[in-house]
Amino acid sequence: MKKIWLIGGAPLAGALIAAGCATYPDAATTRQIAEKMVHESFTASPAHAKRLAQDRSQQICSKIDGAPLTQEEAAEVVRLARASIRYPDSGKLMGDWKRGDKLAHNGAGDRIRRGKVEKRKENGALCQNCHGLAPGEINVGNVGPALTGYGVQRGTSEAIVKLTYERIFNPWAFTPCSNMPRLGANRHLTPEQITHMVAYLLDPASPINKR
Amino acid sequence: MPRMVRGVAAFAVACLAAGGVTLAPAQSGDDPLGVGRRMLLEDNPGEIWIDKGKALFHEKRGPKKASLEQCDFGMGPGKLEGAAARMPRYFPDTDKVQDLESRLITCMVRLQGFDEKDVVKRAISPARSSGSDVEALALYVTSRSNGMKVDVQLSHQKEYDTYKAGEYLFFRRSGQTDFGCVQCHGEANKRIRLQDLIHMTSKAGAQEVASTWPAYRGAHYVVRTMQWRLNDCVWQMRLPDLNYGTDYAIALTLYLNRNGNGAEMRVPGFKR
Repeated sequence: MKKIWLIGGAPLAGALIAAGCATYPDAATTRQIAEKMVHESFTASPAHAKRLAQDRSQQICSKIDGAPLTQEEAAEVVRLARASIRYPDSGKLMGDWKRGDKLAHNGAGDRIRRGKVEKRKENGALCQNCHGLAPGEINVGNVGPALTGYGVQRGTSEAIVKLTYERIFNPWAFTPCSNMPRLGANRHLTPEQITHMVAYLLDPASPINKR
Repeated sequence: MPRMVRGVAAFAVACLAAGGVTLAPAQSGDDPLGVGRRMLLEDNPGEIWIDKGKALFHEKRGPKKASLEQCDFGMGPGKLEGAAARMPRYFPDTDKVQDLESRLITCMVRLQGFDEKDVVKRAISPARSSGSDVEALALYVTSRSNGMKVDVQLSHQKEYDTYKAGEYLFFRRSGQTDFGCVQCHGEANKRIRLQDLIHMTSKAGAQEVASTWPAYRGAHYVVRTMQWRLNDCVWQMRLPDLNYGTDYAIALTLYLNRNGNGAEMRVPGFKR
């Protein structure tokens, strides 16, 4: 009877805790507590603090235990991703596979230690961390699918080149909330760098398309 | 003499721990690292840090010339058996949920009078150094739970809050890589390049996390702690500097350790 009396206010929570009835907070409270932790646990200049804030797509893509997206959420992520895609000024989407090869094996760039961003000429494309690359390459990750032979079946038609460019620029336009970073949209890579990645994947001369 | 017996016992434990690992083939003329790797499998060099941590624990140190023998890790002052296996947990005297490392700092500041900023600054040692005091102490205190089961309990409201926050943070994506923890640690048998990734959303994966830190890190020649591990992840994720002993790390540690309940503690772990 007493418990019913207390419903609807902070005294209830206090009473429950005192009675050993502590329990999991609801989603909104959890979010509030955890976001406060993010806010208070890092040292970041205003420019770097942006990396801790979530954009709308990241919020949608952070479901606990990978719970499925609603149709509306998936559509929103795709729409935002499509709107993010930019092309290089030259308009040429197929760059230099040799430069792409180097970038694919470069996992460095833009990491922060003691407030300083690591100095590099350019950011690496990080591919090797997660994807199988040229045949026989052993030091490659498997978090993403192997890209070995990527261009062999696809060819180099204009449509394929454009699709490949867009998939690297923002994979969420095709697979909403995929594990792959939105490398172009997040400005980790420049549009020009992405043209080199396209060539690395599609050019018949690229090691990735050799046997 | 008792000291020697303990040494032998520690060696035996290390050998047992290595028992499940297949040794590299004996002929290693073409593998210059092979000899060293085999030696490391036979005896974890991290064992040395246990003795160092033990000496530091009992030594009267700091401006207050006090030992850490009165430090309460949740089982009562100076009671270390099984204490680390139950952490992180809520501590009434700080009104906070603390992991072992943040608790150590509380005691070094309150009991020994060390300057908090100074301790935090040195907590994570440079690679190839002889390690920090906090690293050695964390290993010693955790080693006193060896052979016991991880048993992180939720009872205080702040423990429930922190567990849920840790879960939220595990799945929280941000920054220019769009990474949360789960992007690398949400599936079985995954690797970054050749480095195996622990599948932390599985029971066995969480148990591995909960029972193997602090660990000897071969590439750094030094003992590393869970807070170091989280720091390094955050760096690779391109996030800003994670401050030592803060709630983000404590929440993730509570979430993972709690999910790892039932694992048998066996530190120092051994990592690449």
